Amino acid sequence: MATESETQGSIPRDSGKGGPYRAGVRWVENLGDAAFAYLLLLPVFLLLGVIAFWPLLRTFEMSLHADALRSAEAVGAFVGLQNYTELLTGQRRSNLIRPFIPSVAINGAFPFIHVRNPFTTALTATFIFTIVSVFFETIIGFGQALVLDQDFRGRRWVRVAIIIPWAVPIVIQGMIFFLMFQPNVGFLVGGPGNQTFLQQLGVFSSTPLSTPRDSMLIVIVADIWKTSAFMALLILAGLQSIDRSLYDVAKVSGASKWQQFKMITLPLVFPTVMVAMLFRTIAALRIYGLIETVSTCNTVPSLSCLVVKSFGQRAYGTSAAVAFITAAIIGVFVTVYIVNFARSDMGGV
Amino acid sequence: MKAVGASGVAVGLAGCIYGDDSGGGGTTLKIASDSDLKDVQGKLNNWLHNAGLSKDITIEVLAGSSITDQRQQKYTQWLSSNREEPALLMTDSGWSIPFIARGQLLNLSENMSKTAKMVKNEYFEASVNTALDENGNLFAVPLYPDFPTMLYRKDLVKKAGYDPEGENWATKSMTWKRFSKITKEVMNQNSMKYGYTFQFKSYEGLSCCDFNEFISSYGGAYFGPLKNLFGPVGDRPITVDEKPVVDALRMLRTFIYGNNDPHALNGITGGIAPTAVLQWAEDPSLQPFTNGNAVMHRNWPYAINTAGAEDKLGKDLGVMPIPYGVEKSKAKYKGTGGPVAALGGWHVAINPNTPETEAAKEVVRTMTKEDVQFKLFQEIGWLPPRPSSLDSKRAKEVPVMGRYLDQLRIAGKNAIPRPVTVAWPQESSKIAQQANSAVGENGNPQKAMTNLKSQLKDIENSSKKN
Repeated sequence: MATESETQGSIPRDSGKGGPYRAGVRWVENLGDAAFAYLLLLPVFLLLGVIAFWPLLRTFEMSLHADALRSAEAVGAFVGLQNYTELLTGQRRSNLIRPFIPSVAINGAFPFIHVRNPFTTALTATFIFTIVSVFFETIIGFGQALVLDQDFRGRRWVRVAIIIPWAVPIVIQGMIFFLMFQPNVGFLVGGPGNQTFLQQLGVFSSTPLSTPRDSMLIVIVADIWKTSAFMALLILAGLQSIDRSLYDVAKVSGASKWQQFKMITLPLVFPTVMVAMLFRTIAALRIYGLIETVSTCNTVPSLSCLVVKSFGQRAYGTSAAVAFITAAIIGVFVTVYIVNFARSDMGGV
Repeated sequence: MKAVGASGVAVGLAGCIYGDDSGGGGTTLKIASDSDLKDVQGKLNNWLHNAGLSKDITIEVLAGSSITDQRQQKYTQWLSSNREEPALLMTDSGWSIPFIARGQLLNLSENMSKTAKMVKNEYFEASVNTALDENGNLFAVPLYPDFPTMLYRKDLVKKAGYDPEGENWATKSMTWKRFSKITKEVMNQNSMKYGYTFQFKSYEGLSCCDFNEFISSYGGAYFGPLKNLFGPVGDRPITVDEKPVVDALRMLRTFIYGNNDPHALNGITGGIAPTAVLQWAEDPSLQPFTNGNAVMHRNWPYAINTAGAEDKLGKDLGVMPIPYGVEKSKAKYKGTGGPVAALGGWHVAINPNTPETEAAKEVVRTMTKEDVQFKLFQEIGWLPPRPSSLDSKRAKEVPVMGRYLDQLRIAGKNAIPRPVTVAWPQESSKIAQQANSAVGENGNPQKAMTNLKSQLKDIENSSKKN
């Protein structure tokens, strides 16, 4: 406050002499704390508006127009929500579809999901990928973080080994897995009479990259291989921020390792794990590049595959509708996440 | 479009008379192409000038992506926003028609009728057909065609007692029955890893080409008679569930799973192809052949250059037309049957928004000169687009490819274009998926084709609306 009064004192009271700059400074200084915070956030909001909300609104606007495959125009007439209703009801069959799970099974459990509908097929594929990969990434990442948090010889080398997959570009990673399952190159798949162990166990068919179920498994494994490291790094940061004296107290009180983990580590690292899961879930819901390089969208169609392929087919209305739905799903997910976990102090998220 | 063309002529003439400011007072035209053409940009200008192009006109190659879909998307953006540059565009024969249907290329029949007429008379007919509108107007000039052939190990085939030269395999196509029998025999005799390698991955190359070729060789088709290849969308029959198509798929299953497969086709010798073909595109399928692990291999002309190189198979490489299921005379649809080869290749078209229309027309006209086409054949392996060019002594002197011109000519004459319409990009992925799954381990050809028929019907109907 002393600084404030000094600053105020330095501005001549006989206004007009200071000019607009001084008047501006005074105006800022007179703002309340909340208003000042919003003022500082204004550039960020403007930037977000330009790079996120405006394109999203444009996408929504485009999604309300018909595809114009025959005319030189980018989109056709205004059709309201027709693209959405046709996508959801399966009338819009203009894109990818390749059921990777038996339609009978899924229709039995979830009769409202029509796997013969390109959109719901993509939605199911995306959700299965997201749930399975994020689940295993969290478990493996947590395990890796716990290991890295220990003090042992060669810890640095282990850390490098864990981080390396994260540093590999997606296309290269995709090519690695693609080649591993190429019969004349890779070692994981062989022809009849020459089947590998994994094939004999029935994990893979002889053509895993053209079999939707196998390809889905490969893409999930590839994603886990790469992004567990990301989870590990985030969770490790959370682990290292825990006050070590808590463990000392616990030890003195005679707590076992498991009790220490359950009563100290888990609750304190939980918010970080939630943040890491949030990031990974958002990324998994947008999966595209890995699929395209490993087995192509023709084999494992995800929501982003639908967006890209429809765009390539010049079906801009359809593409925009799928893109908007994908963004909306992510938006709803993020909101639910934040509302549910905000109270448990998610480190500011 | 006429208005654009007329104003373009006026401005173009002004450009020629007064020149522009791109250095040297001449006109520099940009052509959207790939890095192959960019590499020979300097030479290309010399070839064009030597062939009669005005010295005031220079070509600058914009080397775009070598991935055809990406080029198509780029052109869509340029032409939809009425960009004036590039003046010239190389378009894939597989997707020129959607641009033509949307009025986004200059009508060459209207603007350079003499050249258009010559191209229609002298060039490979199948190539020309992919650059015409519904009224027969030409919108792009084929620069080079691309059609596949069957590559084989001539040394091993001879060792097995066959006489490819005496039996004239180069020009006389054989049936799939005989082909499979020979392949199996040579494969077993030499303990080869693979008999026949080809591409059957679920990708664009399957629907446009491999699958199209197999079904056509049995007299089948996607949309009935060949006159329906380019439309009318929504008003043409869908014939993918007919016997010739299903027979072709059954033959493929026999190739892969042998004669005991529940869907095997009688008369075909089984067990000659690996299941791996279901996930192979061009390069992975070529590799075993060039490594000496396969007897027969289907691929594009570039593979002849690769496999016929001295450090690979050299003169042990044999090339023949693609085998057939039924003869042309017995095919259900006219134009199918016999040694059908899927058509690829690229054209050159003029951007209707260019102010340099006259100069662009002069370039296109000069590109139709045989001298320029031969230089492109020699330098980057682009086949000349006239069947007659492949008869010449000059063509025979071209290293490697020169040895197989008869086969390429036969393939060119029997080339079948993909059915490109505004609906094709959507239909293509469905066709690839169903064909691939029909030949997959637990596939069922008839069931897959019945599904495909209903999917194609939906697309045709919805594309008809918009």
